[in-house]
Amino acid sequence: MSTEPATKPFVAIEAVHFGYGEEATVDRIDWAIPRGAFHCLVGRSGCGKTTLLKLAAGLLLPQEGCVRIGGAVLTGPGERIGFVFQQPTLLDWLSVLDNVLLPLSLKRGLRSEDREKAHALLDLVSLGDYAQRYPWQLSGGQQSRVAVARALITEPDLLLLDEPFAALDALTREELQDDLLALCAHHATTVLFVTHDIGEAVYLADRVAIMAAGRLHHEMAVDLPRPRGRELRYGQPFNALCRELRRAMDAAS
Amino acid sequence: MKARLASALLLVVLLGAWEAWCRLGNVPALIVPAPSAVFATLWGEIASGRLFPHLAITATEMTLGLALGSLIGLGAGILLAEADFLRRLLHPYIVASQVVPKLALGPLFIIWFGFGLTPTVVITALICFFPLMENTLTGLSRVDPSRRELFRMLGACRAQTLLRLKLPSALPVILAGFRVAVVLALVGAVVGEFIGGRAGLGASIIAAQSVMDSSLMFALFIVITLLGMAFYQAALLLERLLLRHHLKG
Repeated sequence: MSTEPATKPFVAIEAVHFGYGEEATVDRIDWAIPRGAFHCLVGRSGCGKTTLLKLAAGLLLPQEGCVRIGGAVLTGPGERIGFVFQQPTLLDWLSVLDNVLLPLSLKRGLRSEDREKAHALLDLVSLGDYAQRYPWQLSGGQQSRVAVARALITEPDLLLLDEPFAALDALTREELQDDLLALCAHHATTVLFVTHDIGEAVYLADRVAIMAAGRLHHEMAVDLPRPRGRELRYGQPFNALCRELRRAMDAAS
Repeated sequence: MKARLASALLLVVLLGAWEAWCRLGNVPALIVPAPSAVFATLWGEIASGRLFPHLAITATEMTLGLALGSLIGLGAGILLAEADFLRRLLHPYIVASQVVPKLALGPLFIIWFGFGLTPTVVITALICFFPLMENTLTGLSRVDPSRRELFRMLGACRAQTLLRLKLPSALPVILAGFRVAVVLALVGAVVGEFIGGRAGLGASIIAAQSVMDSSLMFALFIVITLLGMAFYQAALLLERLLLRHHLKG
């Protein structure tokens, strides 16, 4: 990986096309994410953003074009890719700890350092005391935190998130956004985050694009300083970016 | 607690009414024996030690038939759920085989397996097979698609997806089928004995009928009911144990 030229994107979505039946859900999209960058796609429900994310994950294969991760064409669910679904999709018969360890325990026998790592991750999402609980004993926000910790246990190079916080209340959502930023900065993870929330996209991303009717519109760099904190949300630059994005979204649809 | 007390009280009232009806109405004991006579007979059977060997035989037939039928039903359900081709090939035949009244096969089984335990166990197993197979098939095919996608994303192989996602997800549905099978197993065992049993509670009912001993028949009904309730409670207990971590409700 180190031989890869700095200018080459880590994730390259090249003229990717996918449709269910006649209509194109993802219509010849090009998109590139440099290593370590945090990109957001914003769009209304049904604009094809989840499909695009599944194409990037290798859960779906493009009918035309290709997805490259680190230069190699993706042909199936990628080994080094973490995915966070819309619902937490935890297994309710496993404890929180075992849910976090699931990606590892499917690959090999667990070692004591794996458990330590899982405990450390749970501490980072402030669920340290909940390791032995079961998912149905947790609130929605706590379940989402477990899902994020589970996606990060394998230290993926690329993290894909599909509106993971959409079902949460605004305050919990903000906390989780801060947690996610801290976790991703920690491992320099490359992230593609899909959402319908404009404020969320601007707060999280280095770069935002709008998706409508299977196509990308209005790419925009977000040059707000990092680390980002709560105060940022009330500042003029943040709101200007949100307004610009909102206008672009209305124009696109 | 109050509801339970009321239930118990209702039983006492009903038994009292039955006793009064028998005594005051001069109902012939051959048609409907009084509860006091039934309990006296039951106690006599217990005290003399005549009851327990029969109870043990019926319980054994039920347990063996239930275990055999459930295991084969579970296995068949998994096989049919996993192998699409087999399902399309065999499912119509399996359904057809379940429409055949299995008790009608009793006389044939006696020719095949002789009198005694085996034909009854086979009939019981055949009856228990279907609810397990059907519920396993249903449970396995109803796994949440996004969890299946999660397992694909995590690179889980087919066996891992089956053992660590599909079977645990389907467990509540499978156990509901098991509960149905428990009730049916008692019917299978008792009626199987009607046809070909020499011992057991069902065979004892036939023997009591041949000497016109209605109060013994009633006593045996009570024993059979208690046996069924014990098995059902055990199944509930097993369910509670296995599903203790599953989502409530």
